[in-house]
Amino acid sequence: MIANHSISLIVTQSSDKPEARCHIAAMKPVFCTIVPPHILDRLAQSEDPELSGNAQRTLEHDSLHRTRRRVTALRGVTAPAGTPADTPQRTIYDAGHQETTPGTKVHSEGDGPAKDATVNRANSALGATFDFYLKAYGRHSVDDAGLPLDATVHYGTNYDNAFWDGSQMVFGDGDGQLFVDFTVSVDVIGHELTHGVTQHTANLEYYGQSGALNESLSDVFGSLIKQYALGQTADQADWLIGQGLLGPHIHGVALRSMKAPGTAYDDPHLGKDPQPATMDDYVRTSRDNGGVHTNSGIPNHAFYLVACALGGHAWERAGKIWYATLTGGELASDADFAEFARLTAATARSLYGEGDAIQAVLKAWSQVGVPTS
Amino acid sequence: MRIAITRTGGFTGIERRAELDTSSRPDATHIEALAHRALTPGHCAPAQGVPDGFHYEIKVDGRSIHLADPHLTHDQRELIQLVLKEGA
Repeated sequence: MIANHSISLIVTQSSDKPEARCHIAAMKPVFCTIVPPHILDRLAQSEDPELSGNAQRTLEHDSLHRTRRRVTALRGVTAPAGTPADTPQRTIYDAGHQETTPGTKVHSEGDGPAKDATVNRANSALGATFDFYLKAYGRHSVDDAGLPLDATVHYGTNYDNAFWDGSQMVFGDGDGQLFVDFTVSVDVIGHELTHGVTQHTANLEYYGQSGALNESLSDVFGSLIKQYALGQTADQADWLIGQGLLGPHIHGVALRSMKAPGTAYDDPHLGKDPQPATMDDYVRTSRDNGGVHTNSGIPNHAFYLVACALGGHAWERAGKIWYATLTGGELASDADFAEFARLTAATARSLYGEGDAIQAVLKAWSQVGVPTS
Repeated sequence: MRIAITRTGGFTGIERRAELDTSSRPDATHIEALAHRALTPGHCAPAQGVPDGFHYEIKVDGRSIHLADPHLTHDQRELIQLVLKEGA
């Protein structure tokens, strides 16, 4: 069991890291800027109840999507007919600590807040993700065709994970020692739903470098969803993934840091954050689908550097370049880091011409050791 | 019977491994029967897995199978939970 030692923040920036030159804030410890659960709960209570007219579509979806589909075989799936709505269609289910989905329906679109804070947090974060993709990039839900957003909470017992199963979200409660409830971080929920966006667009193969890109894109947009919800600029953001998710006595601030990969945690029970920031420290392994959660640190850090160099709201220019690269149709499902980097540069040029955007993109990839030519 | 389980992947990307020897346990029969059912062919079709889903390797006396969430049988889940919780 976990020893009751004092909590200390172990994350600091060393001055020789490239990001430390980026701005003054990078010299300071990475502090926790929180999206506290009570804020999400309050957001849930302020939801506009006017959204109830979509039950029919939800029912259609239920029958359409009851059969699980292979993650890798979704490209080209026909979008539902009609114009997708500008409002989400969310349904939250409770697995009752079993490992079956979807479970019992406990919240539908337009319902008032539930008694269960986990249900409200999941519902709010699904809404925050829907809003982000619609308002920032004009995307209607995960499939850009208004896919209803379903989530199952209380999955399994002491279950330390959350995942996108190809058609819906699944959240565990955590074991309470190493990890708490996986609905506490809006970026975790944004991360998972972005796996759905990737599945419906470039469909990056979940192995090796294309898998690490798949993971990185989920971290990038997961973080942007949190920044958008909080109205933060690049220099105000914490650039952490899973902040608030670690158990009360775990030494660390989050699961991953885009600002300083490899520094999110260092704990006797969890080990040390293994993420590299540059290709010099690229990890070759067959575990974890070829290190998809490890080497994602490299493209994560490249995005952070671009956002930091361009300043302002990271979802506006840096995020748009990454989004257009993901969804533009040219990104191959087996793309490696270099192919992705070249495409982001081409996208930056076509969106913003020969200006600071393309310069920031080229410099960022160079700093993390990924060639763009 | 020695049962070793390695769990990889997941949103956290943090690996867990635990091993359990049934020989000194009062519930040896139950666990061995569970392990037998968990490894029965037909119950362990190789699964594609999902993004951020856990992957599991179960080794029983030299035999091993690979599994991925959420495509597990009830017996496989029970065995994994028990070994990761009570194994060393």
